[in-house]
Amino acid sequence: MIYGLLKGFLRAFFIVVAYGAMYCHRKGLDMAAIRLQAIHKSFGSTKVLHGVDMEVRNGEFVVVVGPSGCGKSTLLRIVAGLESPTAGNLWFGDRNMTRAGAPERNIGMVFQNYALYPHMTVYDNLSFGLKAHKVSRGEMDKRVQNVASLLEIEHLLRSKPSALSGGQRQRVAVGRALVRNPYAFLMDEPLSNLDALLRDRMRVELRHLHERLRIPTVYVTHDQTEAMTMADRLVVMKDGNILQVGTPEEVYHGPQNTFVAQFLGSPPMNLLSVRRVADLRVAVDGSQDESIAVPPRILAGWPRDLTDLWLGFRPERVTLKGNGSTGLELTVGIRTIETLGSRYHVHGTWGNIEITWVTTEGTNLALGRQVQLTVPWDDVHWFERHSGQRIQEEPREAVRLESGNVV
Amino acid sequence: MTNPENAVEGGHPDIPSWMLWWSRVRTQWQDLVVGYGMILPSLVVFLVFYYGPALFLLYIAFFHWNIFSNYSTFVGLHNFSVLLHQPIFWQSLLNTAYYVVLVVPVTTLLALALALGLRQAWSLKGGGVSQALVFLPHVTPVVATSIIWVWIFDPNFGLANAVLHALHLPQLGWLSSVHWALPAVMIYTVWHSVGLYTILFLAGLSTLPKQVLEAAQLDGARGWLAFRRIILPLIGPITFFVVVLATITTMQTFSQIYTLTGGPHGGAGGPAFSTTTDSLLIYQTAFLYDHFSLGSAMSLVLFILILAVTLIQKFVADRMVFYR
Repeated sequence: MIYGLLKGFLRAFFIVVAYGAMYCHRKGLDMAAIRLQAIHKSFGSTKVLHGVDMEVRNGEFVVVVGPSGCGKSTLLRIVAGLESPTAGNLWFGDRNMTRAGAPERNIGMVFQNYALYPHMTVYDNLSFGLKAHKVSRGEMDKRVQNVASLLEIEHLLRSKPSALSGGQRQRVAVGRALVRNPYAFLMDEPLSNLDALLRDRMRVELRHLHERLRIPTVYVTHDQTEAMTMADRLVVMKDGNILQVGTPEEVYHGPQNTFVAQFLGSPPMNLLSVRRVADLRVAVDGSQDESIAVPPRILAGWPRDLTDLWLGFRPERVTLKGNGSTGLELTVGIRTIETLGSRYHVHGTWGNIEITWVTTEGTNLALGRQVQLTVPWDDVHWFERHSGQRIQEEPREAVRLESGNVV
Repeated sequence: MTNPENAVEGGHPDIPSWMLWWSRVRTQWQDLVVGYGMILPSLVVFLVFYYGPALFLLYIAFFHWNIFSNYSTFVGLHNFSVLLHQPIFWQSLLNTAYYVVLVVPVTTLLALALALGLRQAWSLKGGGVSQALVFLPHVTPVVATSIIWVWIFDPNFGLANAVLHALHLPQLGWLSSVHWALPAVMIYTVWHSVGLYTILFLAGLSTLPKQVLEAAQLDGARGWLAFRRIILPLIGPITFFVVVLATITTMQTFSQIYTLTGGPHGGAGGPAFSTTTDSLLIYQTAFLYDHFSLGSAMSLVLFILILAVTLIQKFVADRMVFYR
């Protein structure tokens, strides 16, 4: 009898523990690794961040992108603890880190100029953080060796930073951030001091490193190529505000406003200012054509007083007329042709409006030639003129829902 | 104006090469004349009042020379051998060594501490004012402030003893005591010179790469560890400069010793030669007792000592200081 009772208790105990563990695990998974809550920052009377809300999930690579002075570096420094926010909260998981000092946060950061300790060898640079955390000599040695071999800098351990090339310094900087096994990685334009070729390679390597280690990462850049290629999720900032958050595809194909539309993509999106002249017709300012008929499925749901618009389309969505598809039709005179090898960037004018498009076929291109172009209506973006905000069209919204992340 | 260098490189066909050569030589001469012309006034002053006396000193150190007589006799190393047999000469060297060994480290460490503190305070209200206050003593004339410090060190009515009294410490004779006269001078010297070295350290600290310090913070280093492993090595060059400068200056200290321990009333260097440092002894030997040759020999010895100490410091620094 006692045996049975004991067995019952044990079973109940295990069930409770198992469910408890599962609950905690789920909670841990649901909880963002880093969460910023209404973060404000002012330097004196200059406001840099106006209430930023953002989160970085476990194992996620988030790229914060925006023009210089948009507050992205300040945001990163607040997460690192190098600046304290004027208002708002910062959470690491369920721990409120708003008032924690930088040394307590266990953050690995890679600076733009690497900020290696110039008087120490690479080995000492890597091991300094471990020494500060009183890691034993043997453990330290092992971890430095591991990171050095991971980043292929073992042969440099005895050198000083001044003897290294830009790319090698970059690796050491990454290694120094990595060796402490940090809670999160912060990178402040880490590739901008490298030459173009090396930058391309390091971009892939950093992303590859992330695939292997899955440490939550915030990566700040003004380079849209880095932003698009490296991010799990993109955060586009301007003037201390977050304009849009989403996967690179979401942001690229569904920019929420004209700034995001033009900031991402090279060459940038064509934007034409247009007016609704009749129910289903719009007139383009500066073009010679009378007005354009727009399919009813696009304009149908819009309020009647919505008349001043931006019409946008990506240069690579422009096709030569004649391959069957219907859409916005333009007759453009070619002004300049940029040859990029695999493709051509063609600049031309439609009336007084400058139009840029990308094509892979160079045979028909000649300066001064008039070409008929078509942009499929599905690839046309509409924005409200004054606010610059996107006007949502129903079918696209559905497509975006399918992709999983709604922002 | 034509630029002959460009013309030569261009190899202009219409201008013969000798003309180009001449125009270049002429320009070089013009540069030379104008350049030296500019520095001539200060160069003359420097040669007449600095190198002139120094070379003359080198000359009379090996002669028997008197300011009132027209001829001098070569005596070789006689002056030096006289020196070595004077107990007061050795006493003065010892006093100087005692003075330097205490003043230089104390000034350097105090200046570094003040600079670190002021760096923190710079962003606060009044940071600039405190920096100015620390520097202020250095711009006051030594003789004038020394007289004030004579009052401070007064055994009966002075502030120094009042402070000791308030702290329940025994009163001291200060400038009238054989043991405390030189330390009193040291206190004055530290007070007077620490501002300069603080400013130098502040300049050094301001050149520290900000992001390297931030990286250290993120690495978990704070307080003493960050100071010892990051800040101190990075300001090595400025520390070396401060130590050398402080050593050279203190080895030559004269004004405050003269004013504090005797001044116009005579008897400087006392009590009982306890504050007779080498500069004071040189002054007294040459200008009080008219032994110019002996004083010159002493100056030469002092010069060699300072040179030796500086070279040793440089030797040590080359092995310890990291230059960015």
